[in-house]
Amino acid sequence: MTDNWTVVVGIKQVPDEDDVTIDPDTGTLNRAEAAAILNPPDRNALEAALQLKDEVGAEVIVFTMGPPTATPVLDLAVALGCDDAALISDMAFAGSDTWPTSLTLAYATEYFDADVGIFGEETTDSSTGQVPPGIAAHLDWAQLTYVEDLDPRPEDDQLVATRDVEGGHEVVAADLPVIVAVGYGDNEPRPAGLHRKLYAETEFEPIELDAEELGIDPDEVGLDASPTQVGGMDTADPVEREQKVVDSVEDLAAAIAEEGVV
Amino acid sequence: MPEVDVDEYKDIWVFIEEHAGEVAPVSWELLAEAKQLMDEKPDDEELVALVIGSDVDDVAEEAIARGADRVLVADDPIFEPYRADPYGKQFRELVAERKPDIALIGGTTTGRDFAGRVAVPTHAGLTADCTQLGIDDEGHLEAGRPAFGGNVVATIKCEAHRPQMATIRPGVFEPLDRDENREGEIEHVDVAVEEDETVTEVLEREVGDTADITDADRIVAAGGGIEGDLSPVERLAEALDAEVAASRKAVDEGWIQHARQVGQTGKTVRPELYVAVGISGAVQHLEGMNDSDVVVAINNDPNAPIFDHADYGIVGDLFEVCDELVAAFEDADDPQEVLA
Repeated sequence: MTDNWTVVVGIKQVPDEDDVTIDPDTGTLNRAEAAAILNPPDRNALEAALQLKDEVGAEVIVFTMGPPTATPVLDLAVALGCDDAALISDMAFAGSDTWPTSLTLAYATEYFDADVGIFGEETTDSSTGQVPPGIAAHLDWAQLTYVEDLDPRPEDDQLVATRDVEGGHEVVAADLPVIVAVGYGDNEPRPAGLHRKLYAETEFEPIELDAEELGIDPDEVGLDASPTQVGGMDTADPVEREQKVVDSVEDLAAAIAEEGVV
Repeated sequence: MPEVDVDEYKDIWVFIEEHAGEVAPVSWELLAEAKQLMDEKPDDEELVALVIGSDVDDVAEEAIARGADRVLVADDPIFEPYRADPYGKQFRELVAERKPDIALIGGTTTGRDFAGRVAVPTHAGLTADCTQLGIDDEGHLEAGRPAFGGNVVATIKCEAHRPQMATIRPGVFEPLDRDENREGEIEHVDVAVEEDETVTEVLEREVGDTADITDADRIVAAGGGIEGDLSPVERLAEALDAEVAASRKAVDEGWIQHARQVGQTGKTVRPELYVAVGISGAVQHLEGMNDSDVVVAINNDPNAPIFDHADYGIVGDLFEVCDELVAAFEDADDPQEVLA
């Protein structure tokens, strides 16, 4: 059996989607003014990792792939209880789609010799959910996605998950090492403790890793290594609606009945 | 990245998602849409249904009746229930051997789990949660997906890699009716996986809620405003003979199953009547219900965006409005009587 699990958590800084606006004239997106926040589903990933730390004494290392301005999300993760943090940053990564992104995160997961890699279900800025299974595929590890609950079984070198499937649930046992994607909202993230928060903000400095240190060939990542390209953007056409606001439930019931849809 | 001769890749594959003999409806929707795309493909190419499972002869035959020219069947107990690792290995072997040009997969939890895994080793371009598909003049797949909450539709292409893969949101396309006279070839392929190679084991599986909101004529949908109490929405749904659905907020809060989520990362619905209860009207939600015939909004915030996207709206406490509406419809044996 594996002594002392090493758990890595991959997180991302994203623009706050409530702040992203569209220029109605040009149809272009204004992301620059949006506040940068921790990808909300990553809160659940961090909580799942910290629960493993509580339950089996795992060491939890968090990393993010992004520009140096992304370090506040690492500070937050350390404040929440992660033991160490790494910024994975290199110009070579620019323009990566999910293929090279999952490759980079797979290298980072191996770099830390992880037994378990935990990620959020998806990022709110691209919303693909493809990266965690992609990491598992690059590493040829087991994968557990849409996870609601984890049950570590160190005596068997297994991680057991309850996961969401269409219309129900299943319980799956995975042999270590394993990649986990935690369902958005499926646990209650803890708040940061005060001492830990002070430490994260004043003393803590994350490790910095670039492509070379991770052993990544720059030709394997970035825009040129991305199989997909954005071919164009169209604004979605609004659907015309009556927009009648009625004053009473009777009027509403009558309007519904008149449409002949009940 | 390896250079890929894209001209070697042919045919459109559709992954038929099957659990214990039950086929996810999105699989048939994709076969129908892929059949349309075949019009843009050279005549010698085929529409191929990929059926992986255990005892799936009936599913293979239905795939022909639903539009497939050929069905590739990998039939073995190892494939029931679904697991990413054996399914992934089987798919990878088949792609290496047969070189499909396009592979379409339903955007369910299982479909996304599968697609994310299989796209990597085949170095495929994979686009998530698509709502539009097309083929451009050069024969490349154009996969349209709502981006940035649904304010825009981004068209994603994969010109230099194969297969071109996409997960497609359930409910977007109409399935073909079964036609038992349709002809096609069923081909059993070698099973490429053995149980001692697998790294996962399904200990329990419980699927109780098999409702399909994409098929519903009437829907009552719950949003964040219900604050964890689904009962008024359920009562109204019962009174209207409607299915219960939800916004992402209500799903993420754990109040309702993900299978009933409308909009981004959920499903597209097109009922005759859509009643949005306590739903603010974020674009991510709207783009999943815009095709509804009649939209009714119930919300206590007069400034909620949902009112701009509804035919009829009422500002008020949703718990009171729902119950009064239930009473109004229950008092009338024939709903038309509420007009009187």
